Amino acid sequence: MARRIPKTDVLVTLMGAPHASDQVTSALRLTQALLERGAGVQVWTCGYATLLTQRALGEDKPRNLADWNTDYPSMARVATGMLEAFPDQLYWYGCRFCSDDRGAHDHLPQVVLRPPAGYAANVAAARRVIKIGVI
Amino acid sequence: MPPEARPTPRAGTGAVEETDERRCLGIVERAYRGALEKQFFDELYLSVEMHRQLGGLDLLLRGQAVCYAAASATVPELRFGKATVTTLSDHRRDLVTLLENGVRVLAEESSLAAYLPGGAARLTPGVVPVADGELAPRWPDYRLVFFI
Repeated sequence: MARRIPKTDVLVTLMGAPHASDQVTSALRLTQALLERGAGVQVWTCGYATLLTQRALGEDKPRNLADWNTDYPSMARVATGMLEAFPDQLYWYGCRFCSDDRGAHDHLPQVVLRPPAGYAANVAAARRVIKIGVI
Repeated sequence: MPPEARPTPRAGTGAVEETDERRCLGIVERAYRGALEKQFFDELYLSVEMHRQLGGLDLLLRGQAVCYAAASATVPELRFGKATVTTLSDHRRDLVTLLENGVRVLAEESSLAAYLPGGAARLTPGVVPVADGELAPRWPDYRLVFFI
Protein backbone atom coordinates (compact mmCIF):
# COMPACT_ATOMS: atom_id res chain seq x y z
CA MET A 1 0.00 0.00 0.00
CA ALA A 2 1.34 3.39 -0.99
CA ARG A 3 2.47 5.68 1.80
CA ARG A 4 0.09 8.50 2.58
CA ILE A 5 1.87 11.82 2.30
CA PRO A 6 0.54 14.41 4.78
CA LYS A 7 -0.60 17.59 3.08
CA THR A 8 1.59 20.63 3.58
CA ASP A 9 1.65 24.20 2.44
CA VAL A 10 5.10 24.00 0.90
CA LEU A 11 7.45 21.34 -0.43
CA VAL A 12 11.08 22.45 -0.37
CA THR A 13 13.02 20.26 -2.78
CA LEU A 14 16.70 20.59 -2.01
CA MET A 15 18.57 19.44 -5.09
CA GLY A 16 21.78 21.43 -4.69
CA ALA A 17 24.82 19.87 -3.09
CA PRO A 18 25.77 21.03 0.41
CA HIS A 19 29.22 22.53 1.00
CA ALA A 20 29.22 24.15 -2.45
CA SER A 21 27.08 27.24 -1.88
CA ASP A 22 24.80 28.72 0.74
CA GLN A 23 21.75 26.93 -0.65
CA VAL A 24 21.34 24.70 2.38
CA THR A 25 21.51 27.68 4.73
CA SER A 26 18.93 29.54 2.65
CA ALA A 27 16.63 26.54 2.25
CA LEU A 28 16.57 25.81 5.97
CA ARG A 29 16.16 29.50 6.90
CA LEU A 30 13.14 29.57 4.60
CA THR A 31 11.82 26.36 6.13
CA GLN A 32 12.24 27.67 9.67
CA ALA A 33 10.50 30.95 8.78
CA LEU A 34 7.56 29.10 7.25
CA LEU A 35 7.27 26.81 10.28
CA GLU A 36 7.34 29.76 12.68
CA ARG A 37 4.42 31.24 10.75
CA GLY A 38 2.47 28.04 11.29
CA ALA A 39 2.87 26.55 7.83
CA GLY A 40 3.30 22.87 7.12
CA VAL A 41 6.50 22.06 5.22
CA GLN A 42 8.02 19.01 3.61
CA VAL A 43 11.71 18.90 2.84
CA TRP A 44 12.75 16.48 0.10
CA THR A 45 16.48 16.02 -0.42
CA CYS A 46 18.03 14.77 -3.64
CA GLY A 47 21.61 14.14 -4.69
CA TYR A 48 24.28 15.00 -2.18
CA ALA A 49 21.74 16.78 0.01
CA THR A 50 20.69 13.29 1.15
CA LEU A 51 23.97 13.17 3.09
CA LEU A 52 22.73 15.81 5.50
CA THR A 53 20.66 13.48 7.67
CA GLN A 54 23.00 10.58 8.27
CA ARG A 55 23.20 9.52 11.89
CA ALA A 56 26.93 8.92 11.40
CA LEU A 57 27.37 12.70 11.42
CA GLY A 58 26.75 12.59 15.14
CA GLU A 59 25.69 15.54 17.25
CA ASP A 60 28.73 17.72 16.60
CA LYS A 61 31.07 18.56 13.80
CA PRO A 62 34.68 17.40 14.14
CA ARG A 63 36.67 19.59 16.53
CA ASN A 64 38.05 22.90 15.39
CA LEU A 65 41.79 22.74 16.03
CA ALA A 66 41.87 26.52 16.39
CA ASP A 67 38.92 26.66 18.78
CA TRP A 68 38.93 23.36 20.59
CA ASN A 69 36.12 23.91 23.08
CA THR A 70 33.52 25.48 20.84
CA ASP A 71 30.53 23.32 20.07
CA TYR A 72 29.62 23.20 16.37
CA PRO A 73 26.33 21.43 15.64
CA SER A 74 26.30 18.82 12.89
CA MET A 75 23.70 18.99 10.16
CA ALA A 76 22.10 15.90 11.69
CA ARG A 77 21.63 17.82 14.93
CA VAL A 78 20.21 20.85 13.11
CA ALA A 79 17.71 18.67 11.23
CA THR A 80 16.77 16.77 14.37
CA GLY A 81 16.19 20.01 16.24
CA MET A 82 13.86 21.27 13.54
CA LEU A 83 11.93 18.00 13.34
CA GLU A 84 11.52 17.84 17.13
CA ALA A 85 10.49 21.49 17.42
CA PHE A 86 7.79 21.17 14.76
CA PRO A 87 6.61 17.56 14.97
CA ASP A 88 3.22 18.15 13.34
CA GLN A 89 4.37 20.64 10.75
CA LEU A 90 7.66 19.42 9.35
CA TYR A 91 8.26 16.23 7.37
CA TRP A 92 11.62 15.25 5.93
CA TYR A 93 11.97 12.93 2.94
CA GLY A 94 15.02 11.80 1.02
CA CYS A 95 15.42 10.25 -2.39
CA ARG A 96 16.36 6.62 -1.83
CA PHE A 97 18.11 6.28 -5.18
CA CYS A 98 20.32 9.33 -4.54
CA SER A 99 21.02 8.19 -1.01
CA ASP A 100 21.97 4.67 -2.11
CA ASP A 101 23.98 5.99 -5.03
CA ARG A 102 26.10 8.05 -2.66
CA GLY A 103 26.44 5.43 0.04
CA ALA A 104 24.39 7.42 2.53
CA HIS A 105 22.75 5.04 4.98
CA ASP A 106 21.39 4.99 8.48
CA HIS A 107 19.46 8.24 8.38
CA LEU A 108 17.75 9.96 11.28
CA PRO A 109 14.67 7.97 12.31
CA GLN A 110 12.34 10.79 11.28
CA VAL A 111 13.66 10.81 7.71
CA VAL A 112 11.60 8.83 5.22
CA LEU A 113 13.44 7.60 2.14
CA ARG A 114 11.20 7.49 -0.90
CA PRO A 115 11.69 6.13 -4.41
CA PRO A 116 12.14 8.73 -7.15
CA ALA A 117 8.85 7.53 -8.62
CA GLY A 118 7.13 8.60 -5.41
CA TYR A 119 8.09 12.25 -5.76
CA ALA A 120 4.88 13.08 -7.64
CA ALA A 121 2.84 12.09 -4.58
CA ASN A 122 4.81 14.57 -2.47
CA VAL A 123 4.26 17.28 -5.06
CA ALA A 124 0.54 16.48 -5.09
CA ALA A 125 0.44 16.81 -1.29
CA ALA A 126 1.90 20.33 -1.32
CA ARG A 127 0.18 23.57 -2.24
CA ARG A 128 3.47 25.08 -3.42
CA VAL A 129 6.73 23.51 -4.53
CA ILE A 130 10.10 25.23 -4.37
CA LYS A 131 13.05 23.55 -6.04
CA ILE A 132 16.45 24.77 -4.93
CA GLY A 133 19.63 24.05 -6.89
CA VAL A 134 20.43 21.38 -9.43
CA ILE A 135 21.43 17.82 -8.81
CA MET B 1 58.82 22.91 -12.20
CA PRO B 2 61.67 21.52 -14.34
CA PRO B 3 63.11 18.22 -13.11
CA GLU B 4 66.46 19.74 -12.19
CA ALA B 5 64.73 22.19 -9.85
CA ARG B 6 62.85 19.55 -7.86
CA PRO B 7 63.86 19.05 -4.26
CA THR B 8 65.90 15.89 -3.88
CA PRO B 9 65.45 13.37 -1.09
CA ARG B 10 67.91 13.79 1.75
CA ALA B 11 70.36 10.95 1.66
CA GLY B 12 69.76 8.28 4.20
CA THR B 13 66.52 9.64 5.68
CA GLY B 14 64.06 9.04 2.87
CA ALA B 15 62.56 12.43 3.69
CA VAL B 16 62.08 15.10 1.09
CA GLU B 17 64.03 18.19 1.95
CA GLU B 18 62.20 21.33 0.95
CA THR B 19 64.71 23.62 -0.69
CA ASP B 20 62.31 26.03 -2.37
CA GLU B 21 61.45 28.91 -0.08
CA ARG B 22 59.20 30.76 -2.51
CA ARG B 23 55.66 31.44 -1.40
CA CYS B 24 52.52 29.85 -2.80
CA LEU B 25 49.52 31.67 -4.20
CA GLY B 26 46.00 30.57 -3.32
CA ILE B 27 43.07 32.07 -5.19
CA VAL B 28 39.55 32.21 -3.77
CA GLU B 29 36.89 33.23 -6.23
CA ARG B 30 33.95 31.05 -5.27
CA ALA B 31 32.70 32.56 -2.06
CA TYR B 32 30.14 31.66 0.55
CA ARG B 33 30.06 27.90 0.51
CA GLY B 34 28.09 26.31 3.30
CA ALA B 35 27.77 28.77 6.18
CA LEU B 36 25.64 26.27 8.07
CA GLU B 37 27.13 22.93 7.07
CA LYS B 38 30.78 24.04 7.05
CA GLN B 39 30.79 26.68 9.78
CA PHE B 40 34.55 26.91 10.51
CA PHE B 41 35.71 24.13 8.20
CA ASP B 42 36.13 26.08 4.97
CA GLU B 43 38.72 27.33 2.50
CA LEU B 44 40.13 29.89 4.94
CA TYR B 45 40.61 27.22 7.61
CA LEU B 46 42.45 25.18 5.00
CA SER B 47 44.53 28.22 4.10
CA VAL B 48 45.94 28.40 7.62
CA GLU B 49 47.25 24.87 7.18
CA MET B 50 48.50 25.54 3.63
CA HIS B 51 50.43 28.52 4.96
CA ARG B 52 51.96 26.46 7.75
CA GLN B 53 52.80 23.36 5.71
CA LEU B 54 53.93 25.00 2.48
CA GLY B 55 56.00 27.69 4.11
CA GLY B 56 54.15 30.84 3.15
CA LEU B 57 50.95 31.74 1.38
CA ASP B 58 49.62 34.70 -0.50
CA LEU B 59 45.84 34.66 -0.79
CA LEU B 60 44.09 36.44 -3.65
CA LEU B 61 40.39 37.20 -3.23
CA ARG B 62 38.39 37.90 -6.33
CA GLY B 63 34.75 37.82 -7.36
CA GLN B 64 32.37 37.88 -4.43
CA ALA B 65 35.15 36.56 -2.22
CA VAL B 66 36.41 40.14 -1.84
CA CYS B 67 33.46 40.65 0.49
CA TYR B 68 35.34 38.44 2.98
CA ALA B 69 37.52 41.53 3.50
CA ALA B 70 34.68 43.91 4.33
CA ALA B 71 35.73 45.65 7.53
CA SER B 72 32.15 46.01 8.72
CA ALA B 73 31.03 42.45 8.01
CA THR B 74 29.06 40.81 10.76
CA VAL B 75 27.70 37.29 11.04
CA PRO B 76 24.11 36.76 12.12
CA GLU B 77 22.88 34.09 14.47
CA LEU B 78 20.28 31.82 12.93
CA ARG B 79 17.49 29.92 14.60
CA PHE B 80 16.71 26.35 13.57
CA GLY B 81 14.06 24.50 15.56
CA LYS B 82 14.42 25.85 19.09
CA ALA B 83 18.19 26.21 18.90
CA THR B 84 20.21 29.22 17.80
CA VAL B 85 23.32 28.53 15.75
CA THR B 86 25.98 31.06 16.68
CA THR B 87 28.89 29.43 14.85
CA LEU B 88 28.18 30.20 11.19
CA SER B 89 31.15 30.94 8.93
CA ASP B 90 32.87 34.21 9.87
CA HIS B 91 35.15 35.02 6.95
CA ARG B 92 36.31 38.43 8.14
CA ARG B 93 37.44 36.99 11.47
CA ASP B 94 39.20 34.14 9.67
CA LEU B 95 40.95 36.57 7.32
CA VAL B 96 42.27 38.47 10.32
CA THR B 97 43.60 35.18 11.69
CA LEU B 98 45.38 34.55 8.39
CA LEU B 99 46.88 38.05 8.41
CA GLU B 100 48.07 37.56 11.98
CA ASN B 101 49.74 34.33 10.89
CA GLY B 102 51.67 36.09 8.14
CA VAL B 103 49.50 35.35 5.13
CA ARG B 104 49.47 38.18 2.59
CA VAL B 105 45.86 38.84 1.61
CA LEU B 106 45.21 40.55 -1.72
CA ALA B 107 41.91 41.61 -3.28
CA GLU B 108 41.30 42.25 -6.97
CA GLU B 109 40.28 45.83 -7.73
CA SER B 110 37.53 45.21 -10.28
CA SER B 111 35.83 42.84 -7.85
CA LEU B 112 36.17 45.40 -5.07
CA ALA B 113 34.54 48.01 -7.34
CA ALA B 114 31.72 45.59 -8.16
CA TYR B 115 31.00 44.12 -4.75
CA LEU B 116 32.63 46.35 -2.16
CA PRO B 117 32.68 49.91 -3.48
CA GLY B 118 33.91 52.59 -1.15
CA GLY B 119 37.66 52.18 -1.24
CA ALA B 120 40.21 51.16 1.29
CA ALA B 121 38.15 52.45 4.21
CA ARG B 122 35.83 49.51 3.77
CA LEU B 123 38.65 46.97 3.75
CA THR B 124 39.93 45.07 6.72
CA PRO B 125 43.34 46.61 7.56
CA GLY B 126 46.16 44.63 6.03
CA VAL B 127 44.26 43.54 2.92
CA VAL B 128 45.99 44.91 -0.18
CA PRO B 129 44.05 45.85 -3.36
CA VAL B 130 45.73 44.67 -6.56
CA ALA B 131 44.99 45.60 -10.16
CA ASP B 132 43.36 42.95 -12.34
CA GLY B 133 46.01 40.91 -14.06
CA GLU B 134 48.75 42.27 -11.84
CA LEU B 135 49.46 38.90 -10.35
CA ALA B 136 49.27 36.74 -13.48
CA PRO B 137 52.76 37.74 -14.74
CA ARG B 138 54.10 36.85 -11.29
CA TRP B 139 52.70 33.32 -11.25
CA PRO B 140 56.07 31.83 -12.31
CA ASP B 141 57.62 33.42 -9.24
CA TYR B 142 55.39 31.37 -7.01
CA ARG B 143 56.24 27.86 -6.01
CA LEU B 144 52.62 26.77 -6.48
CA VAL B 145 49.47 28.49 -7.69
CA PHE B 146 46.15 26.90 -6.87
CA PHE B 147 42.48 27.65 -6.44
CA ILE B 148 41.00 27.01 -3.04
